[in-house]
Amino acid sequence: METRKLVYVLTGVAVSLIVVIGGLVLLVSGGGGGDDGSSSDSSPTLPARQQGELRVRGADPITLDPACASDADSASYIVELFSGLVSFDKDLKLIPDIADHWDVSDDGTVYTFHLRTTVLFADNSRRVTADDFKYSMERSLNPDTQSTVGDVYLDDLAGADDFIAGRADSVSGIKVLDPDTLELTIKAPDPVFLDKLTYPTSFVVDKNQVKDANCSDASWTFRANGTGPFKLANWDLGNQIVLEPNPNYYLDPKPALSRVTFLISGGSSFTMYQNDEVDVTGVGKDNVDTVRDTTNPLNAEYHTTPSLSVSYIGFNVNKAPFDDPNVRKALAMAIDKDFLANNLYKQLLDPAGGIVPPDMPGYDSTVDPIKYDPTAAKTLLDSTGKANDLNGVKILTAGQGAAPDDVLEAVTAMWQQNLGVSIEVEQEDFGLFLSDVDQGSFEMFSLGWVADYPDAQNFLDLNFHTGNSNNKTGYSNSEVDQLLDQARTDIPEAQRNDLYHQAEQTVVDDEPWIPLFFARSSYLVKPYVTGYDVPAFVIPTLRYVTVNK
Amino acid sequence: MPSGLASYVIRRLLIVPVILLIVSFVAFALGRYAPGDYVSIQAGPRANPETVARIRHDRGLDDPVYEQYARYVWNALHGDFGVSQHPRGVPVQDVLFPRLWVTVQINVLVLAFTWLIGIPLGTWAALKRGTWLDPFSIGLFLFFASVPVLVTVPLLEWALVHKLGWLPTGGWSTRHILGVKIGILSKHAILPVFVLTLSGVAGLARYMRSQVLEVLDQDFVRTARSKGLRGDVVVFRHVVRNALLPIITIFGFELAGLIGGSIFVETLLGIPGVGLLAFESVGTRDYDMIMAIVLLGTTIFVLTMLLVDIAYGFIDPRVRSGGSAG
Repeated sequence: METRKLVYVLTGVAVSLIVVIGGLVLLVSGGGGGDDGSSSDSSPTLPARQQGELRVRGADPITLDPACASDADSASYIVELFSGLVSFDKDLKLIPDIADHWDVSDDGTVYTFHLRTTVLFADNSRRVTADDFKYSMERSLNPDTQSTVGDVYLDDLAGADDFIAGRADSVSGIKVLDPDTLELTIKAPDPVFLDKLTYPTSFVVDKNQVKDANCSDASWTFRANGTGPFKLANWDLGNQIVLEPNPNYYLDPKPALSRVTFLISGGSSFTMYQNDEVDVTGVGKDNVDTVRDTTNPLNAEYHTTPSLSVSYIGFNVNKAPFDDPNVRKALAMAIDKDFLANNLYKQLLDPAGGIVPPDMPGYDSTVDPIKYDPTAAKTLLDSTGKANDLNGVKILTAGQGAAPDDVLEAVTAMWQQNLGVSIEVEQEDFGLFLSDVDQGSFEMFSLGWVADYPDAQNFLDLNFHTGNSNNKTGYSNSEVDQLLDQARTDIPEAQRNDLYHQAEQTVVDDEPWIPLFFARSSYLVKPYVTGYDVPAFVIPTLRYVTVNK
Repeated sequence: MPSGLASYVIRRLLIVPVILLIVSFVAFALGRYAPGDYVSIQAGPRANPETVARIRHDRGLDDPVYEQYARYVWNALHGDFGVSQHPRGVPVQDVLFPRLWVTVQINVLVLAFTWLIGIPLGTWAALKRGTWLDPFSIGLFLFFASVPVLVTVPLLEWALVHKLGWLPTGGWSTRHILGVKIGILSKHAILPVFVLTLSGVAGLARYMRSQVLEVLDQDFVRTARSKGLRGDVVVFRHVVRNALLPIITIFGFELAGLIGGSIFVETLLGIPGVGLLAFESVGTRDYDMIMAIVLLGTTIFVLTMLLVDIAYGFIDPRVRSGGSAG
């Protein structure tokens, strides 16, 4: 009987403590109790939503240093904070940026950029001159900076190799003619040279701020002083990144948002969107049925835009049995891409016939694809006599977690069903995957390619030219090389695209890749947000956005 | 006793650096022998392999592991624990400590709730032995202790966030109170604290119940009862006190676990704590960060265990008289 009393006392203490602490929590957090059922409009940490503020879900970038960024997440912040000679507008058209205009020499190797004379750094400290470009571009190429992307985008420059190897103190191809004029000389004419200059490695950084910081010293980036449409107001690691318009920005339209807040901590973006915590969200397989339902109010907020990227399965074309093009072709013919795109991916992706995404501006990407034909695939594979060699072959994919990629599961099931071969999916941690793919220690692998700039060259030359470091399959076809070499020269656009078109068709016929899907972005945008489109690849877009709330 | 205890404590403290060396070397070697490193992972498939090799060389990543380890220890002894890789180039402590603070706040609250509820609940269940409440409560404890957070979090999220809209969608939010960033006073803290308390209470109550049952069967309890002591006095003064003894070890573990964070809860709810950080760091081969987390965790664990042992020395005369046999 007394024990009961004790228990009452103990539980009473516990319960009252919970009530008191719980009540305190609710009181202090300003939540009006749990009974009103209303969703919380803004998290208490953040200052109340400002008029004209855009809130999105974000991630901590790996770096905000333009010389060092090799991933899309980092680049998407950098293009809003910094800028360079040229950039892409939202229609993917190359436009003058800090460069007002430029001349190209007759042989196509000397570019003379005339800079805008009115561009100031966001902190008002001084104006941007040709010297700043020389400093910034050399910094990207300088081995001491330890950038893995500098030479990828700037090795066209004359003297870049000598500079990287330490044989020269500066890049001979970068010349400051006067504070307003920059001359860049490249080794050979390159139709995509200007495109490459839109990458952050050519963006202007403030040498007074950066000094000799390399990619492993990020302290300055927390106060990054750039020339982009926005400036960094606050980077609170793991919590939020806040951008504010750069009052010195020089291109029209100028930023209309009063502030952009990237919420870095948080759960599912889709749920946050439904709770009015963010203004835009991506839509995945799990939610797409909900938003496509025309009776659902979210349906009116649903948008899709093409994305310049392709996902594919690559073969090691130097390893049996994949050195036989017919084996590769038979495997390609046995995959029902339409089924994968429509059923597995609920039409969030488009089945890919060729290599270059159909929305590539100015490029006709209609190739004659390898069509799904299980019977012909089986006949073709049997004719090679190598069907048995395929059993136990592994297809590498990057990832962690119990269930591997369901696309690959479906693909291997199709191969099993249509060809009677059993191919395994091997999931590897990203680091291991990269090193295996780099060293060619794979039979097949699954990967994607995202455009750096909107040009067929970026997909075809980089992935299929003999000896290119991005050519992971080891594919080599002299006919294709010849076409790609010709397209590298200074020739009319139409002729160039024709060459790429021929090269693409030959690649598709040889099938070193099985192109699977072209990606599309599917997302929701609140009705009070205008001008928000997910771009086809990373370009500055926030200055086109308005929030009427 | 004080001299014995002091020498015991000193001896234990002297072992700490040895343990740290062993643990850190194992963690270091495991990290370095894992395929890939942060340079190649960050470079991605597009970088020039020669450039990647050059940077690995510049950063000393192609040196023998023992050399790299020696360099790490040397730098660490000078207070330089390296830089993080995501974000790249930020001193590890600048990334780690804010994350640690988040986890500590959650876990202190969880620990408090767990003990305030778990101990009385376990005692109550034990005293109800023989009634239907006993198997019922054991079943309930077992159920909540065994349902993984991987299940409870999405379920609660669906109900409390999605359907009822009472709570925000995961994440973490803070406010400055007296210059300190406090996060547990926001609604964001409710779900993680609740979920972790639920499984904690279930586990602790289950343990407490069995301890109390064991003590109840002991002769001195019967003696106390037969002496005519009041029931609550017996329970308070004899049963609970004695049952709590072995549980102090659990408290020590939980105290050490304060900085551990829950990888699952933090990952599922997007809470920027140490658990999520550790998970991310392994994926990005953030060597210095992994080492810092391992070293910090080990240090705190070893020191807490030492505190527990010392506490036993004060509480339990049997341990005290046994001298320094630890």
